[in-house]
Amino acid sequence: MFHLAWRNLLQSRTQFFLGVGGVALALLLMLSLDALLVGSEQDLVAYIYQSGADIFVAQEGVRNLHMAASAISMQDMRRAARTEGVASASPILYTTGVVETEQADVLSYIIGFDPREPLGGPQVIVAGTAQLGRGEAIIDNAVARSQGVELGDEIEILGETFTVVGLTEGLTNIINSVTFIHIDDFRALRRGDSISYALLAVEPGYDPAEVAAAIEARNEDVTALPREVFAREERQIVKDMSVEVIYIMNMAGLLIGLAVTALTLYTSTLRKRQEYGVLKAMGAKNRHLYSVVVVQAFLSLTMGSAVAIGLVWLMGSILPLVVPGTAMALTQAGVVRVLTAALGIGVVAALVPAWQMARLDPAQVFRS
Amino acid sequence: MEKLCALCVSVVKMEEWMEPVMVVEHVTRRFGSGETEVVAVRDVSLAVEPGEIVLIMGPSGSGKTTLLLMLGGLLRPSEGRIRIGEDDLTELDERRLPEVRLRRIGFIFQDFNLFSSLSALDNVALVVQLTGLSRRAARRRARQLLEELGMGHRLNFLPEKLSGGEKQRVAIARALVNEPDIILADEPTANLDSRRGHETMRLLRRIAKEGMRSVIIVSHDERIKDIADRVLWLEDGSFKNEVEMATDPVCGMSVDRERAPAQVVYDGRTLYFCAPGCRDEFLANPKQFL
Repeated sequence: MFHLAWRNLLQSRTQFFLGVGGVALALLLMLSLDALLVGSEQDLVAYIYQSGADIFVAQEGVRNLHMAASAISMQDMRRAARTEGVASASPILYTTGVVETEQADVLSYIIGFDPREPLGGPQVIVAGTAQLGRGEAIIDNAVARSQGVELGDEIEILGETFTVVGLTEGLTNIINSVTFIHIDDFRALRRGDSISYALLAVEPGYDPAEVAAAIEARNEDVTALPREVFAREERQIVKDMSVEVIYIMNMAGLLIGLAVTALTLYTSTLRKRQEYGVLKAMGAKNRHLYSVVVVQAFLSLTMGSAVAIGLVWLMGSILPLVVPGTAMALTQAGVVRVLTAALGIGVVAALVPAWQMARLDPAQVFRS
Repeated sequence: MEKLCALCVSVVKMEEWMEPVMVVEHVTRRFGSGETEVVAVRDVSLAVEPGEIVLIMGPSGSGKTTLLLMLGGLLRPSEGRIRIGEDDLTELDERRLPEVRLRRIGFIFQDFNLFSSLSALDNVALVVQLTGLSRRAARRRARQLLEELGMGHRLNFLPEKLSGGEKQRVAIARALVNEPDIILADEPTANLDSRRGHETMRLLRRIAKEGMRSVIIVSHDERIKDIADRVLWLEDGSFKNEVEMATDPVCGMSVDRERAPAQVVYDGRTLYFCAPGCRDEFLANPKQFL
């Protein structure tokens, strides 16, 4: 039956390519969305990992950066720094703002850091310097490329003019970018003494989770989270915000895949109705005929899936070159999710043709 | 004495063989009910011997196809019984019927009905695979049969690349490959030219006589009378006068006794010939043919 299904599938090349192409397109939609989301999640937490902090101390209840406003005092930071196991503590100021260039406005996390402090500033500099002074800024290379900004150019941040003195890398994602200014400039703009977050490094041999718990135990006004937890919270909040869109797009992909696969199988069965009738007349049981439909569905979906995975992989290599800041990460979990969806598509799509097969009257062969 | 015993055995075997392969008893098939009821087949009875070729003829709408469907286990009669050996098709469970069709009945269709995406070899092998044999074993058996039927050089051709006669050979191989007791052929020569039609008829006769397989043919084609042992005329769902056939002693063709172009009374027996040429050949040297 496998051979018959295979030959039937290949007999009409146009239909074969349309079928496999349609499935591939639907799965591509689902898989690329998934890969984009995962890629974005990885990029979104790039600063958290690049900052060098083992623990993030924030206002009580604040557990991430995105869409969050945190204010703690310098005293809170110093108290945290005195906790056993803390090697160093660096303050940063943070807000979400717009970087205005000559070409366009770019949404960005604005980080105010102290260049004299070990943590909080850019760790990867591809041009210029990390030692910025007052009135200076460091932006990401991807933004600089896309907006035509060069070292020495002027940009506007939070309504003030800054000169670009350094370029970072890997801090632009599909949503925004990260821009650094001097902490004193930020403080002047904000007109206050508080800081947003305290970034702590932990001494060797200490567990960041235990140190963070100790900090919270000493000061009820702050939330202290190890880097991994802070990053996970950041990812989750972004995922929660985009999950509806992703869900709708995935449903659209699922429905397209279902429609294409079902239609391909249906027309293929309809086209071969007479032959299946002959097979039934000659003694084939329904299970023989079902297996033809199932094998055809399986083959279409396997090939469609392979094409989709290949295309996403290709897109993942090309897209960041074409659209700076976009990243696609094809994960095992994503592939398993999409293949499970493909399997679901196959099962549902095979139902109608299988039902047709079961109802097929072999006597029709003699009446035609 | 030894010769006598051998003969006895032979007679016993012949008697065993002569048990009808298919027995049809008072079969009726109705469609619809009340005022719209149509009786397609009415009280038909028939017994088919091993190796016998039965031709069922009749006008369109006479019930030929309905009868063939019932004989093939594809349609249940309203009344009566149909047996193939020990299997009663009218009593068998729907789940068992495919098995009987697969192993005991071979079908030959009017339009050949080959699977267009499969090669000649795979067309035949597929039917063997339905019995549970592996693809390799099925292909081996199919290859052997196709070679016997002179199709060895066209094994890997798709049906669209085969001539009508070749397609019919593949269809015949497909009907034969599971070694059924009975072959049901629906207008087997309808789509063939005269020469290929004759070839097919000769092939069917050879299959019936050498393999002792019963062949039931439904056809309008008068030429098939030449190979039939019995011709039945179906009209309004019932068999009318049965046509008696005789075998031409010269060429071996079956001849309708009533319509034989030539006949001779020889040694007290009436012999029938398909053509005056055969009669003349016989008369030139009768002992050669008796």
